Amino acid sequence: MRTSRLMLLFAGVVLAGTRPARAQDSQFGIRGLGIPGRWESVRARTTGGAFAAFDAASALADAAMVESTVLTSTLVVAPSFRSVDTPFGDADLRATRFPLFTVSGTIGRWAVGGGFSTYLDNSYEVITRDSALVRGEMVSFVDDFASDGGVSDIRFAVARRIGPRLALGLGLHAMTGSARITAVRVFTDTGRYATVRDTQLVRQTGFGVSASALLTPSPRLSIIGYARGDDEFKTKLDRNEVGTIDLPNMFGGAVRLTLGQNARLAGSVTYRPWSISGPGAFNTLNWSAGLEVGSSVTAIRLGGRAGQLPFGPGTSPPAEWGVAAGLGRVFASRHGVMDVGIERLVRTGSGLEEVVWTVLIGFTIRQ
Amino acid sequence: MTRQARGGALCAALGLAVLLTACTEKLLAPGHCPEVCSTFALTMTDTILPLAIYEDSSFGRPVGYISPHNATGLVAKSVPGRESRPIFRTIPIPSRIVVNGDTATGPVVGVDSLRLTLTITARDTAAHNLTLSLYAMPLTIDSTTAFHDLDGPFGAAPVRTVNLDTLLARPGLKDPVTGDSALVDNSTRRIILLLALDSAQAPLVTADSGKLAFGIRISADSRASATLGAQESNAFGPVVTWFLKVDSLGAKTIKATRLAQPAFDGFVFDPPALPIGSALVVGGVPSARTMLRMALPRAIRDSSRVIRATIEFEAAAQLEGTAADSFRVVAHPVIADFGAKSPLSNARTDTTWIAVVPLDTVRIDVTRVLAYWTTNTQATTMMLRQLPEGAVFAELRLHSSVVFAQRPKLHLTYAPRYPVSP
Repeated sequence: MRTSRLMLLFAGVVLAGTRPARAQDSQFGIRGLGIPGRWESVRARTTGGAFAAFDAASALADAAMVESTVLTSTLVVAPSFRSVDTPFGDADLRATRFPLFTVSGTIGRWAVGGGFSTYLDNSYEVITRDSALVRGEMVSFVDDFASDGGVSDIRFAVARRIGPRLALGLGLHAMTGSARITAVRVFTDTGRYATVRDTQLVRQTGFGVSASALLTPSPRLSIIGYARGDDEFKTKLDRNEVGTIDLPNMFGGAVRLTLGQNARLAGSVTYRPWSISGPGAFNTLNWSAGLEVGSSVTAIRLGGRAGQLPFGPGTSPPAEWGVAAGLGRVFASRHGVMDVGIERLVRTGSGLEEVVWTVLIGFTIRQ
Repeated sequence: MTRQARGGALCAALGLAVLLTACTEKLLAPGHCPEVCSTFALTMTDTILPLAIYEDSSFGRPVGYISPHNATGLVAKSVPGRESRPIFRTIPIPSRIVVNGDTATGPVVGVDSLRLTLTITARDTAAHNLTLSLYAMPLTIDSTTAFHDLDGPFGAAPVRTVNLDTLLARPGLKDPVTGDSALVDNSTRRIILLLALDSAQAPLVTADSGKLAFGIRISADSRASATLGAQESNAFGPVVTWFLKVDSLGAKTIKATRLAQPAFDGFVFDPPALPIGSALVVGGVPSARTMLRMALPRAIRDSSRVIRATIEFEAAAQLEGTAADSFRVVAHPVIADFGAKSPLSNARTDTTWIAVVPLDTVRIDVTRVLAYWTTNTQATTMMLRQLPEGAVFAELRLHSSVVFAQRPKLHLTYAPRYPVSP
């Protein structure tokens, strides 16, 4: 009883106190819709994302919820420290995000869950210097373009075992978010040319469905396939609808091997045809592999991932690779789980390099 | 504490430390277009709107917004084609003055001496042998007094004459013979003249209650021009200091000092101001203002950012005076459009320096005024006025919209709304 109240309080505080879920920012999202979020709990993310499709606390594959038999709530906090190296200058950036919150439990034979996660993050601020011919003379100025916001994915999902070796999952997704876009132009000669400041609020909404199938041919082997179909973003500028953007579907699969009582190995591949969203976007193929070693009380995890990013300068997709490691610890008579980890990502493309260190902190409360 | 609990506490402390370290967001990074910058850029549009000013008129003649009697400066000028002479009349002084620090008063029985303080707020430094001549004026002078009404008093011998260049060249800026002295404020370039007068030059006439009236003529080798502070200019007006002899209740004669500030000051000038006619006039004496009613396209007013805005006028006449007569033109938005008497807003004004040089096209900056209009629904009417107002003979005479080919135009550089597309 006490645990249920604690969970309700936890969920209430999280829902009331956090901003819309957002993942880490990236300079590679500036020229597109943003940077896609990771629908992974800390446990999954510290294995490079390889276990995300089998993790009930992650929001990647709905069928994985059948592995959670009690009411469980998870929150991820992710402070990141980013160094950006461009031919035009370097910068050290930092931000703290809450990229994932999930709740799952059972109602009868059904596993039911939901939560919110980051679909796209679109926060950045860049400064450029330029000049232009104004009234017959060259006038220099500094532009400051900033975007603050993102799109959250609110999910409601159900899953059910169909026999001892198969489980199916189905999810409904509502994407909603906004970004406050600010453009400021300051002229060098402020006495003659007034500063331009323009702020607009861009709102985006969309819907999607997801489905997944978890096959367990043997106690040591699990295979999952997942797919997601997203419709389109309806975009409003301030209060006026200005158009739509097609969103990509997603296809993926993962395999998990149980090597023994205390060791598990997983790998996954995900494909998203982002090029449908417009010019300058690229299809992405991402893979990951990870290992989890430990008991049900304490676990050590590590993993790696690689693939492409959907947006960036140039004619080819930016590349991304990363490694992660972490550990999990159960406490409070198995009602509480704390997962911590660290992730290093390297993104490169068209002369731009970005190195991101992210500290991952996950809080899970179970009934 | 169990080992498990210690581990949990350690993890919590670690997480809290990281959160505190990274809780402030820093996203600012250098960019470069088009590689690392937004796909949408601010654009600038430069356009000339010949019909933006749909009504224009000038007001201020024959009665100006500021006339010589309420101007902040008293113009002394003697150049070909322009003669201007400051005049002023002091307030009366009391016939009895408190003596011995109590309530008892004694009669004023004579004058020891006087000191006239004049402040030169502006002058043409290229003029040599700048000389001020002080003339006695009738006490009847007031704001209706015209230039030729004072031909007689100015035709008489001057009460005093002081050569400014000679005085400023003396050690300590003092003339030991006449008792005149000067103080120079190098930061403001003001010169305070302290002219010593005796009771013969400025007699105490009991019937006039000690009122005095003076007129000043200026002369120089060439370009004789200066502006004296008026009483409207915050304590820079002419002041007469009386050093009086007072009967101390029959015991002895004591000395007392009384200041006599002007009851009236102004200046008379010739030739008189031209009527406004069909032109637009800004400035001059008495001062005129020009009102412009403007219609901005909705796309600009509602959703654009003004970068620079100037109104381009074609000059209808050249400016009077020399470089020393250069002035500023201030554009004020009106708070409400009541025509010539519209209250002006001082919050968002633009100032343009007008040099006295041959004019062709006159560009008046109105950037802040137009930017102000794009943020509210106030009347899009502005007023142009001169600074200093009513104390400069140079006036802008500009073609109005009466002649279509020469009508004023709005030259506008603006940024259309930041084009965010889906």
